[in-house]
Amino acid sequence: MNMGDHLLSWILFTPLLGMVVVLAVPSSNKYLVRWVANLAALASFLVSLQLVLRFDTHAAGFQFVERASWIASLGVNYSIGVDGISYLLVILTTALTLLSVLASWSEVEERLPAYYAMLLLLETGILGVFLSLDFFLFYVFWEAVLVPMYFLIGIWGGERRLYAALKFFLYTMTGSVLMLIGILILYFAHANQFGVRTFEIADLMRVQLPIAAERTVFWLLFLGFAVKVPMFPFHTWLPDAHTEAPTAGSVMLAGVLLKMGTYGFLRISLPLLPNASQDWGIVCILAVLSLIAILYGALVSLMQKDWKKLVAYSSVSHMGFITLGIFSLNVKGLTGAVIQQINHGISTGLLFLLVGIIYERRHTREIAEFGGVAHRMPNYAVVFAIAMLSSAGLPLLNGFVGEFTILQGAFEVNPWWAALAVPGIVLGAAYLLWLYQRTMLGELTNEKNRQLLDLNLREWAVVLPLVAAAFWIGIYPKPLFEIVEKPVAQIMDRLHRTELHQKEVQP
Amino acid sequence: MSGDTFFFYAFSALALLGGLGTVLLRNAVHCALALMTSLLGVAGLYLLQGAEFLFAVQIVLYIGGIMVLFLFVIMLVNLDQASKLQQFGRQTPIALVVALAAVAAIFSMLSKSAVLLPASVSLTPLTGGNTETVANVLFTDYLLPFELVSILLLVAVVGSVMMAGKRTE
Amino acid sequence: MPANFMPSAAEYFRFAPEIILTIVGTLVMILEAMTGDRDKSSLGYVSLLGLAAAMAAAVAANNDPGLAFQSMIIVDGFATFFRVLVLGVGMLTILVSTNYLSEAKANSGDFYALILFSVVGQSLMACANELIMIFIGIEISSIASYILAGYLRDDRRNNESALKYFLMGSFATAFLLYGVAWIYGLTGSTNLGEIRTVLSHGTAPTAMVGISAALMLVGLAFKVSAAPFQVWAPDVYQGSSAPISAFMSAGPKAAAFAVMVRVFYTSFDSISNQWEPVFWIMSLATMVIGNFAALQQRNIKRMLAYSSIAHAGYVMVAVTSHSAVGTAAVMFYLASYCLMNIGAFAVVTWMARDGEKFVEVDDFSGLAQKQPFVTAILTVLILSLVGVPLTGGFFGKFLVFKAAIDSHLMWLAILGLLNSAVAAYYYLRVLVVMYFREPGASTVNLPPVAGTLRVAMLVTTLGTIALGIFPGLILGFATQSSTLGK
Repeated sequence: MNMGDHLLSWILFTPLLGMVVVLAVPSSNKYLVRWVANLAALASFLVSLQLVLRFDTHAAGFQFVERASWIASLGVNYSIGVDGISYLLVILTTALTLLSVLASWSEVEERLPAYYAMLLLLETGILGVFLSLDFFLFYVFWEAVLVPMYFLIGIWGGERRLYAALKFFLYTMTGSVLMLIGILILYFAHANQFGVRTFEIADLMRVQLPIAAERTVFWLLFLGFAVKVPMFPFHTWLPDAHTEAPTAGSVMLAGVLLKMGTYGFLRISLPLLPNASQDWGIVCILAVLSLIAILYGALVSLMQKDWKKLVAYSSVSHMGFITLGIFSLNVKGLTGAVIQQINHGISTGLLFLLVGIIYERRHTREIAEFGGVAHRMPNYAVVFAIAMLSSAGLPLLNGFVGEFTILQGAFEVNPWWAALAVPGIVLGAAYLLWLYQRTMLGELTNEKNRQLLDLNLREWAVVLPLVAAAFWIGIYPKPLFEIVEKPVAQIMDRLHRTELHQKEVQP
Repeated sequence: MSGDTFFFYAFSALALLGGLGTVLLRNAVHCALALMTSLLGVAGLYLLQGAEFLFAVQIVLYIGGIMVLFLFVIMLVNLDQASKLQQFGRQTPIALVVALAAVAAIFSMLSKSAVLLPASVSLTPLTGGNTETVANVLFTDYLLPFELVSILLLVAVVGSVMMAGKRTE
Repeated sequence: MPANFMPSAAEYFRFAPEIILTIVGTLVMILEAMTGDRDKSSLGYVSLLGLAAAMAAAVAANNDPGLAFQSMIIVDGFATFFRVLVLGVGMLTILVSTNYLSEAKANSGDFYALILFSVVGQSLMACANELIMIFIGIEISSIASYILAGYLRDDRRNNESALKYFLMGSFATAFLLYGVAWIYGLTGSTNLGEIRTVLSHGTAPTAMVGISAALMLVGLAFKVSAAPFQVWAPDVYQGSSAPISAFMSAGPKAAAFAVMVRVFYTSFDSISNQWEPVFWIMSLATMVIGNFAALQQRNIKRMLAYSSIAHAGYVMVAVTSHSAVGTAAVMFYLASYCLMNIGAFAVVTWMARDGEKFVEVDDFSGLAQKQPFVTAILTVLILSLVGVPLTGGFFGKFLVFKAAIDSHLMWLAILGLLNSAVAAYYYLRVLVVMYFREPGASTVNLPPVAGTLRVAMLVTTLGTIALGIFPGLILGFATQSSTLGK
């Protein structure tokens, strides 16, 4: 298949194509539907692998750029491209979708074609967010993601799924409509200053706003991104959505959907609003919110009785690290944040997959129901240990690499930030180890756990790639750093230049 | 007070009192008669403005035709029950306040505007009779609206026939 | 005697849509009398043809824009856009109604004729360049709508709805007419362009011009159901037959907005500092009242009624922005609104069945399992009403709030967008019920989706999606036509 210069469009729309095919398959034949869906997810992953072969790590700027006019009168373009940051997220998305689809093989029985269609639609939406170079296109995909996720939680979720789905939708919708205002202010500022109507992010960078206006826009965009991350205090939708979503939904939500928020900060807030982003007051507020998220998320995780909710709250904590890294505004912090995005996707994705595996066998997530599971499921216990240690940030596993770099970055700015974030890691280790102790170790007390079967072949196939990735990044993260180097340098360059510019302007 | 002004106020009072009577009286026949009085007042105002044609139309059409029909309908339809019903809802005091406020607003605005008619409006003196002028305007400049009113009437006729038509089983 | 008052051929050409509609309407009534007891669906098709011919005439008339009949009407892009829109609404209404009427055993030519006449009125409103014409247009459209609201005479709710609509509607038109009289007294003209010229001299006392504008606004606000003149809408929409609710929530509203834009942007342009704040407050109040009242509704027709009030609020935001961009936004929004609202009412029509027994939101329980086709249709329409990207509703809202920000109405934009997030709540409830609940008594014995109804559903849904993916389809034309011919 020659994908020529439209590689990114292929990546973007292969899942959509797959969705059409899945919907065309007669729904009565569940076996066939499952196969087709898995093949579709596999196809989109394979297409995205072409990116791995052809992506040039050493080139600056965006690659594989495609541009076509979409709505001429508004200056909206279909323009997509990748740099190091989005490249990693694209691969993460296609990989996690493939694994989620595979993981759903025996979990979901009802309305199968619709289920897989929604997962694939979600994939396209998320990929669109990561690939868009046009702010309007970005927004369209950003909002479009809501719909499949809403249905995934609402139809195939747990008991309180309606509440969770609605809360998810309303929170993110409110955040994103405010973001839209920020986008429009930038758009008009550009139209006024340069006489050109455009939503191209690269062009919008030229806009010079008075600092007060820039701050306003920053906060408007912030609300959109922060709800998605989610940053404290906008996080309350997350535990509900995660807990109620089906396994695949949780994996996608934690693995890639949350990254849309941090990606927004990296791709849009920092380059477009460099002055507001470096405003010391704003930076402090965001750092404090990140630190609160880190500690609060960890403390709340410690108290959870529900297995899945624990992992969900741990996400709040881990995402706090990422935002802390971003708003350290130095090379280390940013690099760590980008890498931690991937790591969090891998480790939390793995944790959710594992919770899903046990839930499928026992249909409960109460931690108290378990204990001594390792006796019956030794392999599962090993994999769970790896996932746990990776999430807790043990050296030689992926979590360590990202969090350590972030802490270095934060330390450079303010040692206190690092000092306050470290207890987050300690608490993280604590709640995970305690969880492990309560569920895996000890005597097998609950009779119901005697029938538990260990990982089957398909489940091995789901978890192994993530385990491998966790080790690989933990032991040899150099390629990852190389990929991230250029885009981070670019962001830093952008931040420095405005700093210099400001100094020149000031007498 | 000149004669014109006196008659203006007299006819206005007639129109307003008639209107009030239409709304406030209980007996339907009395209401209809009050409405007639009101229409008569308006007809008088037309006459004062020198619009004899409108005056005549008002008398012949409204008072002569439509009101007589009204009266027939009222006498044919049994309205005993309606007269026993409560005439006004609880919102009456609020409505009264709002209405008075609106009147006060209009009056205050009127009193602020010293010039009542702007100079830009020139009243062209009539050539020929009043009726002829109306006809001229109606069949040249306002030909289209005149024709379109016939569609309006057609719709109204269709509607009333449908509303009054035989009930389906 | 002026010799030049004989209309030229070009003038008739510009007025052709209305002429065609009137002829076809009359023809349908004659055919009604001639066909006796036979099935009247064919008269629906005749009316459809008439509307299609009128639409072709409206499009053709746009090739030769200009005034006609002593400047009584104006054919410009704006007028053409709204003419085509109301004609389209008429066609969709007929497609939705045919089956409904047959089931209610009330299929008759009168119904179609009234739809046609009502559309004549709306089409006149779209191209009127004169206050008298506007008044006549509104009256033709309204009187036909009053009767349509009470079309099923044996239905108590229909009767109540018609009476309410008639009383309140007449009251509102009286206000409009009173305003017209004032403005004629002040400027000596009823021609929109001349009024503009006179008013721009600034000699007319602004307070009195303000009163006349306010009086006209009352009448128009009633027709578009903008707060505080929206109270009638829920009762009337709930009481009328579902296809008629679809019609009333779309055609007359769009036409009234066309009039509002033309009158206020043309004639009252010079006193915009007076009416802009009023519009600001009204648009906000309309959005808030519509959305928050819709949250409470259990009846889907009432919910759609309140939601249509909220949508009127969004359009008012665009009107408030008082710019060419705003005009284009009004046009685009109304087009997508008409599509999605008629589509939603089409589904309600299908669901309600004979006697409208099933009009609660809860009656849609588990529809996803029983009728995937209709569920898919309603899902797209609801998502469009919410304003999710890749639907017409999204671009409508986007353009509206873009226009508002362009005119520095920052707070209105923020409050409006937050409102649209509130709206998501009650729209999503319909989806919740359809997808997440088990089928109940109402979803047993679902009727088949009749041919014409299916066409209406498909056209509205595909149209909504098309506007969402290729908004350029009509946005280009709307932008070109947004500078009104004066």
